[in-house]
Order: sequence, then C-alpha cells, then structure tokens
Amino acid sequence: MIEVALKALFILIYATFVGFMFMGIIRKVSARIHRRVGPPIYQPILDTIKFFGKKENITHGLIYDFGIIYALGATILALFFIPLGSVSILRAYGDLILITFLLEIPMLGIMFAAMSSGNPYAGIGAQRALLTMLAIQVPLGFAIIALAEFYGTFSTYEIVMAQQISGWSIIHLPLLLAAIAYDIVLQAMFGKEPFDIMIAPGEISLGPMVEFGGKHMGILQIQHAIGLFAETLFFSNIFLGGAVITAFASPILNTIASLAILLVKQIAVLLIAVFVSTIFPRFTIDQAAKFYWKWPTIIAALGAILASL
Amino acid sequence: MNELFIIIFAPLVAGVIAWALDIKGIRELLGVAGAAVPLAYLIKLYPTIESDGMVNYTLNFAGFSFEFMLTHLSWVFAMIAGVVGLAAVLGIVSTAKKGYEWLFALMSLTGVYGVFIAYDLLGFFIFWEIMTFGSFMMVLKYNKAASLKYFVLSVIGAYAMLIAISIIYAKVGSFSFIEVYRAFSQDAALATVGSSPLFSRGEIALIFGLFLVAFGVKAGMFPLHVWAPDAYSETNQSYTAMFSGVLSKTGVYGFILIYMLIGYRLLYEFGTIRTVPKFGYIIAFLGGLTIIVGGILAALQEDIRKLFAYSSISQLGYILVGIGVGTALSIEASIYHAISHALFKGLFFLIVATIIYRTGKTEFKDMGGLAEKMPVTFAMAFVAILSLAGIPPMVGFASKWLIFESVISQNMPILGAMVFFGSAVGFVYLIRFTYAVWFGQRPTDLDDTKDAPLPLAIGMGILAVLNVVFGVAPGLVAQELNKIFGREVIGGTIWELNLGFGKYNGLLLTVWFVVGMLIAAIVYFMGAKVRKVPITDTYQSGNPVTMEYNLTIRRNFFLPLKEALSFWLRMSFDRFYKDVGKTVEDFAETMRNYVYNGNVQNYAWYLVIILLILAMWGV
Repeated sequence: MIEVALKALFILIYATFVGFMFMGIIRKVSARIHRRVGPPIYQPILDTIKFFGKKENITHGLIYDFGIIYALGATILALFFIPLGSVSILRAYGDLILITFLLEIPMLGIMFAAMSSGNPYAGIGAQRALLTMLAIQVPLGFAIIALAEFYGTFSTYEIVMAQQISGWSIIHLPLLLAAIAYDIVLQAMFGKEPFDIMIAPGEISLGPMVEFGGKHMGILQIQHAIGLFAETLFFSNIFLGGAVITAFASPILNTIASLAILLVKQIAVLLIAVFVSTIFPRFTIDQAAKFYWKWPTIIAALGAILASL
Repeated sequence: MNELFIIIFAPLVAGVIAWALDIKGIRELLGVAGAAVPLAYLIKLYPTIESDGMVNYTLNFAGFSFEFMLTHLSWVFAMIAGVVGLAAVLGIVSTAKKGYEWLFALMSLTGVYGVFIAYDLLGFFIFWEIMTFGSFMMVLKYNKAASLKYFVLSVIGAYAMLIAISIIYAKVGSFSFIEVYRAFSQDAALATVGSSPLFSRGEIALIFGLFLVAFGVKAGMFPLHVWAPDAYSETNQSYTAMFSGVLSKTGVYGFILIYMLIGYRLLYEFGTIRTVPKFGYIIAFLGGLTIIVGGILAALQEDIRKLFAYSSISQLGYILVGIGVGTALSIEASIYHAISHALFKGLFFLIVATIIYRTGKTEFKDMGGLAEKMPVTFAMAFVAILSLAGIPPMVGFASKWLIFESVISQNMPILGAMVFFGSAVGFVYLIRFTYAVWFGQRPTDLDDTKDAPLPLAIGMGILAVLNVVFGVAPGLVAQELNKIFGREVIGGTIWELNLGFGKYNGLLLTVWFVVGMLIAAIVYFMGAKVRKVPITDTYQSGNPVTMEYNLTIRRNFFLPLKEALSFWLRMSFDRFYKDVGKTVEDFAETMRNYVYNGNVQNYAWYLVIILLILAMWGV
C-alpha cells in the first residue's frame, strides 16, 4: 500500500516536473528557431508559481471551479495507466482504448469550466475544440485499431513487451503508417500550430482559457504539463518501443536508465511537434476537419487494413 | 393466474382502469402500480430462472397455442423494460394530464413485455402490434403528421415481419421458436451434406431481408430511422424515456432472434467475411452508418428533443454493430450496451421532460443558465452526460469499451473506426446540450424556474444510481449476461471485466480517479480565496457588457461542421420518403380519375374485357 502510494507520488512529481521542462523546451526551441534567446527553460514553473501567488481569484460558480479540478484529476488518472518504464502502478489495466479515452476526458472538464463562465469567446473556443476532436478521432481511431490488430492485444504494457522482442512498432509498415497518422493527430492533441484552433491566441483571445486567471490558470498549467508528458509517453510506448531496461544488476539503475531512454524518445516526439508548429500557420476549423478526414485518415486506414490482413 | 401473465398484462389492466376512472390521484397510483408489479414479479422469478434456466407457460387460444417463456435473455430484456418503464411512469405522474396517456403508455409497456416473453412467432407479432399501437396513440395526441409517419413505417415493418412469419409457417408448420429453430438448423445440416434443403437460397435471403426491415424500423436503423426524430420528440417526454429506452430494444431483441432462429442457416448459405457472418456484416455496416448519421444530425439540431432523438438513433447503431459482428462476446457487449443505453437515455429523456415541464420551452435559443436554478436535475444530467459520452467510471464506458474490443478483436478496421467516430460525435452533441441549456447567460423569463417535481426526481434518481453502480461494478451485468450463453464469455470479478486481450477495472479506476481529484482539489485549495462575479463581469474584448447583450451562442453552434458536410447533408432520406409518398398519392389520384371516371360506357367496357379474359381461359 505504502509502496503504491510512493510510486504514485513519484510518477506524479516526475511527470509534473518533466512536463514543465517540456513546456520550457517548447518555448526555448521555438525562440531559437525565430533567432531569439527565449526564456530560461524553467520559465513555465515560475509562471505557474506566480499564478498561484495571486491575492484574489474570481469564479463564475461551482462548475467553474469543479471543471478545473476535474480536468486535472482526469489527467492524473490517465497518467497512472500509462506504463512508465517499470515504475507504473496500473499498467495491467493500461488498455489502449481506455487510455485513448482518458486522454480526452480533461477536455471535458476544461469545457465545462469555460462554458459555465458564459463568455462568448469561451463558447467559440469550445466549439472549435470539439470540432477538432471530432476531426482527429477518425485517424486516431484507425491508428489505435491498427495497433490492436497487429499485436492482438489491447494492453499497452504487453505492446511494449512485444516491441522488446520484435523491434519498435514503426519498423513494421502498417504501424509506421499508423504512427505517421498518430503524429499528425498529436499536433492537435498538444494544441500546437497548425491545429491550435481551439486556443487560437490572437484570433479568439485564448478561447476556452479566456476567463481563467490566478489559481485556475495555474491548475490548467499543471494540467497542460502532465498532459504533454502523458501524451508523449503514450506515443513513445506504443510506437517507439517504450523502455524496459534490464541490463544493470541494480533495479534502481535499471529504472533510471529506462526513464532516461523514455525521456529521449519523448523529447524527440515533442521536437517534431515544435518544428512543425513553428513553421506552419494556423488552419481554420473547417480546413482542419477536411484535412484530418483526408490524408491522415487515408494513411491510418491503410495501416489498419494492412494490419488486419 | 400464471406469473408470466401477470407480468405481461398488469400494465394494460392498470392502464385501462386508470383511463376508465380517470380520477386525479388514483390514476397515478394505478399507473405506478401497473409498472411496479411486473418488476416485482420479475425479481421474484429470478431464483427460478437461476435454477431451472426458464419459466414457461403455454396457452391455447383461438385455435393457436401461444408459448411464453422467460429465459435468461428475455429476463434481462424484461428487466430493462421493468426498470426504465418504472422510472418513465414516475415521470409520467408529473407530466401526464389525462387518463388517455396512462392507457396507451401502459399498453405499450404490455406490448414490450409480451415481445420479450413470447416464445412463438405469432405471439411475438401480436404483442409487437400492441406495442406499436400504444406508442402510435401516444404520438397521435401531440402531432398527427409525426404519428402518421411513424405508423406507416411501423406498418411496413410489421407486415414485412408478417410475410416472413407466413413463409416460415408455410414450410415449417409451426410458430414455436423451438420448432422453427430446429427446422432451420436441421435445414443447415441437410444442406451441408448436400441434400436439397427446405428453404432455397432466395427464400432464406427474402426472410432475412424482411426481418431486417421489420426490426430495423423499430430499432431506428439507417435508412429506416426517419420516423424516430419526429415520433420521439412529438410526445410526452417522460413517455419517450420508455419509447427510446425500451421500445427500441424490441428491435434489438428481434435482431438477436434472427441469430437464435435462423442464424445457422444464414451462416451456412452466405458464409463469412473473415470471422464475421456475411448477413451479420450487413447489420453491422448499417449499424455503423446509423452511428455516424445519427450522431452528426444530433449535433446539428436546434431542438433539445430532436437532439436526443438523433442521439438515441446513434447509440442504437452501436448495438447493431455489436450484434452484427456476431461472436458471443460482441453480442454480449451489445446487450450490455442495450442496458446502458436504456439507463442513460431513459435518464436523458426524463431530464428533457423536466426541462420542458418547468420552462415550457424546447429550443436551445430560449434556454441557458439553468444549472443554478435546477441543481438536482443538473446533477442527474451530469451523470447522464458522463455515461453517454463514455466517460469512466460510468456504465456507458464499460459497454462501449466492450463493443470496441469485441469489434476490433475480430479484425474489423472499418467498423471499428465507425464506432470510434461515434464516440467522439457523442461527446460533441452532448457538450452542445450542456452549453446551451445549463450554462451561460440565463434569459430573464427563466428566472423563477423551479427544480424537478418529486416523482420525476425519483425516476431520475433510480436511473442515475444504476448508471453509477453498474459503471463502478461492471461485472454485475457481465456475469448476468454470461448466463445467457451458459459460459464465461466475459471473465473477471464484479469489479473487473477481463477479456483476455484487454482488462477494465471499474473500482480501481474510480479509486484512482478520486485520488486524482483529491490531489487536484488540494492544489486548488492551496491558492488564495475566490470571489464570485456575475456573468456580465466578463471579458468582451475589454468592453463592458450588460444583460441586454446575448453572450451565449445558442443558435447554429456547429455551423462549421454543417458547412464542412454540406455536400452530404443535401441528401436526406426523409425527403426521399416524402417524395415516394407523394408519388404514390399522385398515382392513386390518377388511377381514381382514370378508372372511376363516371362514364357508364367505360364501366360496360370493363365488363366486356373481363368477359373476354374469361372466354380466353375457356370458362
């Protein structure tokens, strides 16, 4: 019991910290691409601390507070189900479909909170977020199906273990196609250009986030950090082989090594997203829907059909 | 009196008395009793079914012998009818105004029980018609055009079924399910060894096609779904909880009957695509289209009742996909989803009934900000939203998860993607409902809205509790369903579903969800205190706003979706059927003008022609 609690605490703190570093890396890398110096890498942590330091916060009612808590709670829940090397606590139940759903739930909480503020920008942001989600669901679904059919199991941990033997998923053609489609989907899941339609800074004043300030925004920062960590981790696990290192004698060294390898893979996934986002301008929402229902869907469907043969 | 008879006829008797007396207070009591008695008897009979596997009864009447049998399968379906029926009847207590509604609402409940418990094709058909008639009369009171559309399509379905039943009777010589099943499986065996079968390929295809139409109409299968949005919305919304939650399940039950009775023969005749029987693939594919069409149309509705009507169609599509795939697991998953659909959609329609009862408005443009005025109803809506959108730990997730896994594990990528799309679109239309009804700015004329009346609140409470309990302990339902197949199709404990290639643990997930929320709450309460601000104290590009501004987007919320899909939305089956109907009417008019043209000489000519035909025959 205590061991599980300690593990959970470790995962949570590690994910939050690394998530914030990821947010820092995103800012730093995009700054360098624009030939700026950029903020220090720990800047998002300072931002969050400042948000919590506000002397006064506003609320628009119970749901406004509850939605935020719900979003963070659901993100933490999703995190626990994704295998993190050998430290995960619920990996036996880390079902592909479950995790895919769990990664979407935080959005529900954010929507609830944003909409209960009654702000029209939040409303339009919610609409765009929902349509983006509807658009990405088709290629995402095909990618997950391709994985499940290729490996014959829905357990993320078993998929990681299978990759230890047969090599990373992306060396198999059907799963390579699925991975490409999933990576395009990730762009929207991270909320990065060209699919940051939901937030759309400069266009609709941050959309759902427009009314949040103080500690509400701080919690959303933490949620975003953990979300980034969870999404990159999930991708690394299912497509890039995860990491289960048994080379060292000491279990602690093994854990550290597998976390390090996972971290490298996660940063690789993240960097692709940053590179894409810094050079592409935003799509409009109907362009995004049409795009996702065309190329990524075709690619992923091809992958799924090949995997099912 | 036999217990099965009490289960079937108690609602009808209660309904007739309620209608005949029509005294306020007594009719409500009678109605609730009429719905509660069958439920009590179903629970009482459970140990008997557990030990003997069934309760049966045969009645000889008018030269036919009617068989009734309560098996595990029909018990599960009858329980859906019992629980959701009771909740809906509690809702009708608040919303019905006359004895008329009690009579027909309870009559359709009798029909539903009859359909589930009948064990011969004739009894099945008769109760099917009673159910259709009762629901038709419920719609007729509110909207004639909608009721006629429903009636015509139902009649087409019912007579398709009657033709199929007659063909079967002509060859088999019995209506009994057992005899029919025996005849068809014998036929399949005969055909396997090469001797000539009783039913030819054409006949078997015809029977399947007719049944597909019959059950497809009731289940709201694409493209036979057009009656549902009108009929579901143009009636007492408490009744719709039953209409959508229970009556549509008879269509689902019918599809399972196809498997039970003629499945072997169809499988033999048409073979399989991979592991899925070809005839099942037709059902599954139409089910997939139903999910997509129902879901997208639900997102584009501007009327709260229509939104849920289309949503109901969409969710039925899931059930059809599962049934179509046709493995023990997927059929079990479908029945599971049938249960959860009845639970959450019954709840949704009771919520809609409450909203309409309290505000008198049905369109999104007139509503908003009701969460503060109706906290109990909103809490129920919250449960229902989580359940329908498939958010763990509600029952909607457990059943959807089972359908996902059962479809994808059969290597069916296209069907799997349709199901995936359906779950996203479910999310989409529910948020639209949430936004427009519960949140945002409240129109001033809704300022003195009260919360749900007590009977409706009890009805909603029953369904909401079941939504949560079955979600946290998904094994409760799964283990009951395993008994239908007589083996462990879904493994695990009452907290856990274990399929071998995938696991889901409702309790563990709930516990960790609570842990996650606690952590989030701790972080939240670490910050400074909050100050409540009014809705007009908001960011509007830095401009001041007052209540005169409309801050909430209430109309055409998903306009970009509409525009992205404009090509597809131009095709409408509703219009197509209207055109067909119009053509038939015109044709009838033309015939009337030509044949009955009032000219005596013409009538003499008809006589001559007939005499000539007779002469040619050599009479």
